Amino acid sequence: MSDRRTPWLAIARYDAAGRARGSLVVTGLLSAFLLLFLAFYPSLSTAGIDLDAYVEAFPPAFREAFGIIAISSIEGFLAVEFYQFAWLLLVGLYLAYLAGETVAGDVASGRMDLTLSAPVARRDVVIGRFLGLVPLVALLNLVLPVVAYVGVVAVGETIAVERLVAVHALAVPYHLTCVAVGIAVSTLVSRPGIAQRVALGALFALFMFESVVASTDYATTGDLCPTAHYDPSAVLVLGEYDLAGAAVLLAATTVLVALAVVRFRRADLSG
Amino acid sequence: MPAIECRDLSKYYGDVRGVEDVSFTVEDGEVFGFLGPNGAGKTTAIRTLLGFLSPTSGGATLLGHDATDPVESRRARERIGYLPGDPGLDRDRTAKAFLDHQAALRGAVSRDELVERFGLDESRRIADLSRGNRQKVALVAAFMHDPDLLLLDEPTSGLDPLLQEEFAGLVRERLDDGASVLLSSHVLGEVAALCDRVGVLREGHLVAVESVSDLRSRGGKRVRVRVAEDVDRTDFEVRGTMNLRVGETVSFTWTGGYDALIDLLGGYTVLDLDVVDAPLEEAFMTFYDGDVPGPTRGGGGGATHDGGGATRDGGGGGHGGDAGRDATAESEGDAR
Repeated sequence: MSDRRTPWLAIARYDAAGRARGSLVVTGLLSAFLLLFLAFYPSLSTAGIDLDAYVEAFPPAFREAFGIIAISSIEGFLAVEFYQFAWLLLVGLYLAYLAGETVAGDVASGRMDLTLSAPVARRDVVIGRFLGLVPLVALLNLVLPVVAYVGVVAVGETIAVERLVAVHALAVPYHLTCVAVGIAVSTLVSRPGIAQRVALGALFALFMFESVVASTDYATTGDLCPTAHYDPSAVLVLGEYDLAGAAVLLAATTVLVALAVVRFRRADLSG
Repeated sequence: MPAIECRDLSKYYGDVRGVEDVSFTVEDGEVFGFLGPNGAGKTTAIRTLLGFLSPTSGGATLLGHDATDPVESRRARERIGYLPGDPGLDRDRTAKAFLDHQAALRGAVSRDELVERFGLDESRRIADLSRGNRQKVALVAAFMHDPDLLLLDEPTSGLDPLLQEEFAGLVRERLDDGASVLLSSHVLGEVAALCDRVGVLREGHLVAVESVSDLRSRGGKRVRVRVAEDVDRTDFEVRGTMNLRVGETVSFTWTGGYDALIDLLGGYTVLDLDVVDAPLEEAFMTFYDGDVPGPTRGGGGGATHDGGGATRDGGGGGHGGDAGRDATAESEGDAR
């Protein structure tokens, strides 16, 4: 009752509360996934195979696409097996998919009518639904580094805590961009199911595009893709922190949410 | 200041007409009814007033605020309660969570009282509630901030008769507190029981605005008479009689004056005579059929509220010619 002056906060809070259980489940599943891979590491590293030589034999485009720098160290192993795949692709796509449902789903179900019959601006709804997914992003990037650290120690290895923290801190702007892509699509496409798939498909297409052009003369066009600005391998293996990339992602997030606000302001709530 | 002033409001979905040139006024403290079949444009009109749809042309004010301006509309919505017939609720949340949220957005001075009055169990998940109980959740949300203007779109469609009565009582209490109401329904009885005036919507047009008391008086009398003599049917086929049935008793609807009725019966020995108000349905059939001497034009005298802005937009067969009976797309569900 205290936030009648800040409807966006009330909307974000309500949305986040509705996601609480799902967020915990996803965090748990990804933690288990990470620990599963870590459990394989000791047998790999002691098998006497030169994994780096194996990886060197991959085509450069493939190594570029999956951010493979080195795989034999624990950092390289985590980057390739977990962060490049689960964190960059899987979580990114999942967030875009969730966000794709938000505005379009509310309009299609009539929930938006009840929200907007209260003194709420369209802008508040878009911002509120965006912020409603922020706790999930925060939860994932707070819990998983702890799980990763504990897992690494458990398999008898060591890892630079700083790099582990950085790979998650820099994931936050990337994940927010994925959410913003979903929100923007959700205001553009009226049917929620379609909006979800468009958001997911668009993000995946951008990832593929960046992977393909990365080793060509058109590599700079890949900068349009969110995945170009978050490189978990570089963070974990080389200790390179792309702060400019993070800034680009935050700016992109802002622009996408602003676009969603502009679009939704003019929209008829009729799907 | 009128509660609602709607001027030449039109809303098209592409080429499909939702409503066209709808003008009416809901006076302060009045209950105005929208009557019409599904697809007539009731929901479109209400959702356009609330700013969910932007009008193709025309405009409206709600509580003195321009409904088409987002900032003004938002200010008006601080004092508006909206209850749709099939409200979109989060099925996987509890009634309490939903109402907490609505309370955060609009305030909730009367929430506890309403929850108790309608016997709502707030702890249950909305998906587990019956249709009637879900409607109660939306009802509490619509009324709990003591709004000055209520927009009720087929509000009792999920309620049983007892609850409908309770609901009508609640609306009357809000009226006593000075609120104004726009109520849509396709059930005449509901509209007649609550409303001061009724606007009839047909195929997107507001074809008539009538006061309910006017309508009652113009609806005529249902006359049943038994006479000693044999009846000559042609005696009764005069101006003023409708639905004539001649048998053991003669029954008809009489739309003329009492003196003329007495003259008509003067030639007979009356054994039994029964004269009652004709049901409102009969008066309203004229709007739907368009070929009966209907009270669609002129003469607004006797109305309890005389809303100056109300149109009497063509009556009778005026709009009967277009598009047959096809429902124009309304923004409910299927139009999405």
